[in-house]
Amino acid sequence: MRFNEKELIFLSRQPSERAAELGMRGPKKGDVMKRRLVKLIVNFLFYFRTDEEEPVGALLLEQCRVEREDDMAFSIAFLDEAERKYLFECDSQEQCLEWIDAIIKASYEFMRKNLIFYRSEIHRLTGKDPLEQYGISDETRFQVSSGLPPLPPPPT
Amino acid sequence: MPPSLRRSAALRVMKLNERSVAHYATCNSPPDKTGFLWKKGERNPTYHRRWCVLKGNMLFYFEERDSREPVGVIVLEGCTVELCDSESEEFAFAIRFDCARARIYKLAAENQVAMESWVKALSRATFDYMRLLVRELERQLEEAQQVALSQQAKNKPKKSQVQGGNGGRSKPTSLQGPLTQPTGSPEEGLLSLIPGKENGVSWNKPAGLSNGVGEGSGVVWEAEGRGDSVRPPPIPPRRKTPGGSLEDPVSPGTGCFSKLHDWYGKEVAELRVEWLQGQ
Repeated sequence: MRFNEKELIFLSRQPSERAAELGMRGPKKGDVMKRRLVKLIVNFLFYFRTDEEEPVGALLLEQCRVEREDDMAFSIAFLDEAERKYLFECDSQEQCLEWIDAIIKASYEFMRKNLIFYRSEIHRLTGKDPLEQYGISDETRFQVSSGLPPLPPPPT
Repeated sequence: MPPSLRRSAALRVMKLNERSVAHYATCNSPPDKTGFLWKKGERNPTYHRRWCVLKGNMLFYFEERDSREPVGVIVLEGCTVELCDSESEEFAFAIRFDCARARIYKLAAENQVAMESWVKALSRATFDYMRLLVRELERQLEEAQQVALSQQAKNKPKKSQVQGGNGGRSKPTSLQGPLTQPTGSPEEGLLSLIPGKENGVSWNKPAGLSNGVGEGSGVVWEAEGRGDSVRPPPIPPRRKTPGGSLEDPVSPGTGCFSKLHDWYGKEVAELRVEWLQGQ
């Protein structure tokens, strides 16, 4: 699959949400833990060799699962290959929790859900649709029921 | 390994979790826009008809509508979208990036309406745009909640205002998590706030996780120092930039969403006028 690598590399140089040197291990058997500079920018996690300017790689953080693996470690796995995990080792519990939190919130889908929630709450409290003034009320991505599987009914 | 033995930077290809990215294209999360577009080839200058799927800040293109895997993807972060003149194609527009030696992706729609619709959708597809919008709505919600609270105070002066023990801020009890009917307990309301069920981000690891599902979600919010379980999900943290303003190659650097939105709208309108005048 082709992708615009140059532009992605350029993106990796932008100010990040969060950046740190972490231990990182790839998902394949035989992958070992390596020290990497890890940068969270929009919904991408870039990782660099600590002395290089261009990233070794990037992970798109959509459709992924973040799990605490240990006191100071977390993993990222993607839904289409849930057994393959990227493992990250932090320097402290606090750092580990902060990264987990940041990565969960780094997906476009997460923001979309927030937005839909705020929109409906504002509408409920004020009777007004906050998106109307921007002329974007009808965009598919802001609709509550746009293709998402229905939530399970609340237990009785 | 000495630098001379590594592959030179010019030859090295950056890794990407391509399989998962391709899966994102075809999984059941709703696309923001789909349709056929003519796309100018990467190497040769002919236009190819592609089935295009816009999801979030990614534009995927497929050979056919029912192809299982995309031919490629354009990550849209940091791009500008402009109308352009093309000798062979009417209704052409381009996706352009700011970086050195960046490619210009030329696309063309079937008609005027489709072109305008795509230009509008693509120029608002960035993560940054979404983040600003979310932040703006969160601010509006807080305002609306304050208004609702002060109205409650006026209507029922004897009722205690502090609920949930969360200092000066309390919520009307009808506020629940997103997309649900009011549920029985705060934990259930909070569970529905976890994005995990739909997009797979979850805390549901039974063994070895110091927090169970209910507490796990508490970790997500508590990391922000908030213990109130009936609170809207916190917004993504602000990107740290020098000078405190949002630096975005596309935006005019304004932190105010309505200004940013107007700017996008104005840019499209101006380009359209220019294009029409040039016809």
